[in-house]
Amino acid sequence: MSWNLARNELRRAFVQPMAWALLATALCVLAYFFLLSLNGFLLLMPKLAGLDSAPGVTDLIALPLLRAIASVLLLVTPLLGMRAIAGERQNGTLPLLLGSGLGSARIVLGKYLGLAGILVILVVLAMSMPFSLAVGTTLDMGRLLAAMLGLLLFAAALAALALCVSTYAQQPMVAAIVALALNLLLWMVDAGARYEGVTNGFINYLALPTHLEPFLHGIVASVDVVYFVLLIAVALALATRQLASIRVRG
Amino acid sequence: MPASPLLQLLNVDRTLGGRRVVADLNLTLDRGCVLGLLGVNGAGKSTTLRMIAGVLAPDSGQICVDGKDLREHAQNMRRLRGYLPEQVPLYAELRVCEYLDFCARLHGLGAAGLKQAVDAVIERCDLGQVRQRLLGNLSKGFQQRVGIAQAIVHSPALIVLDEPASGLDPLQAVRIRALIRELGREHAVIVSTHLLPDVQACCDRVVILHQGSVRHDGALPGLGKANSWRVTVVATPAAHEWETLPCVRSAQCLDSGWRIGLVDGATPAQLAQAIVGKGWGLSELRQDDASLEEIFLRIASIETTQVAA
Repeated sequence: MSWNLARNELRRAFVQPMAWALLATALCVLAYFFLLSLNGFLLLMPKLAGLDSAPGVTDLIALPLLRAIASVLLLVTPLLGMRAIAGERQNGTLPLLLGSGLGSARIVLGKYLGLAGILVILVVLAMSMPFSLAVGTTLDMGRLLAAMLGLLLFAAALAALALCVSTYAQQPMVAAIVALALNLLLWMVDAGARYEGVTNGFINYLALPTHLEPFLHGIVASVDVVYFVLLIAVALALATRQLASIRVRG
Repeated sequence: MPASPLLQLLNVDRTLGGRRVVADLNLTLDRGCVLGLLGVNGAGKSTTLRMIAGVLAPDSGQICVDGKDLREHAQNMRRLRGYLPEQVPLYAELRVCEYLDFCARLHGLGAAGLKQAVDAVIERCDLGQVRQRLLGNLSKGFQQRVGIAQAIVHSPALIVLDEPASGLDPLQAVRIRALIRELGREHAVIVSTHLLPDVQACCDRVVILHQGSVRHDGALPGLGKANSWRVTVVATPAAHEWETLPCVRSAQCLDSGWRIGLVDGATPAQLAQAIVGKGWGLSELRQDDASLEEIFLRIASIETTQVAA
């Protein structure tokens, strides 16, 4: 039944211009960034030929692009997820879901799968750019696949956060602003500590980049996977709890 | 052993925003019955229906549908119950058929039989001409019908409708009432309204709520029950002259016209024939709904008095 809800979310997203506009804008920005990186690499290539262990295409083109995809996800996810529950509430359609007998957990799961589905489309389309270089050169495929897994986990975590905030907010725009603030907080929470030289503290563990960067360098560590899975689980549990409490509080 | 009622509310209480909106409410509803939940604004009608629909949890008390407690068997209610909230829950960006397909699946209909169920409800609610239209572009009347369609697409035993005819023009309201009347033949229907014509047109039983509790619960007075009629004539006959007519049991002069009680077995056609025979100039003959109106106004005036005090 959650699939039905997820399918409906995807259908509703793509019969309206917002998802198309966000995906198109994000992909245009990333494509421009990709072309700039490619051009820079072509200019540098004669110099790189003389170096012994020169950085390759993956380092000079793919890595900056992967970081740009992460930045785009930070901005786009709150906008895509803001309507999830707050929009239903504002639209007066929440009673349809609550009165259907579908439990709060299933409603949250359905909404989550729908939102995550849109983000998967964005990540896969964006990743097709670095993968397309395989036509003209040899890529570090293992590293790129690890980076793709990292970005998918990162997007899944941001989707869970956006959905969670949307269950608490009365209006979609408030949900978007709070989710964006939360994303930026988790992105920069250890910036000050790092400036002071702290790189292995609890505050570093909380920050999103600490767990995304290893994936982008081709390292798939269980600690990072667990971090994203935990973040998703906590956000969805809170969303379920909040949705259940709407029935109680009225 | 008598079958348990389809819907049973036992000592249900609910407070919202510090106000006791529903107070110790007891109510039962059987299959094949249309129950009109009548009350002034703020009487607790919508809150009661939201609790029956599972959108709102009661503070205390028990709500059972088909003998099963709503709290413990929420999943089992998906096929049993259909709900139309006061604000019709529509996704403006979807087409009518897409929306009904989603709602049918939401209420647990599988792929088998889904298309037939959607087609059947489109036909029943007369939505064929708009099935490919976007919900946001439909008129209020069509939106209301789509709202009812989503509540019945899965053929639930219990249909809960909150103000289904509010905001509609008279023609649309008549169509909605006829649809509710038809639904009442196969399902148990509970309809909330503050409009007397809604209740008179489609309900078998009326419950009047006031300050969250039941103040009146009984069969709908009127045709086939009291056999009482409102009559307006051009001439000015006296009460005893009315009683000389063979089919008339009693006659009461009102501000406008007469309330005429017929003897058992007499029909309004006989009354009309007798009036015409007398040459009194019959100008109006309609079912007398005064008793319901009087009960409702009496309860409403209690509230007005209390508010004024």
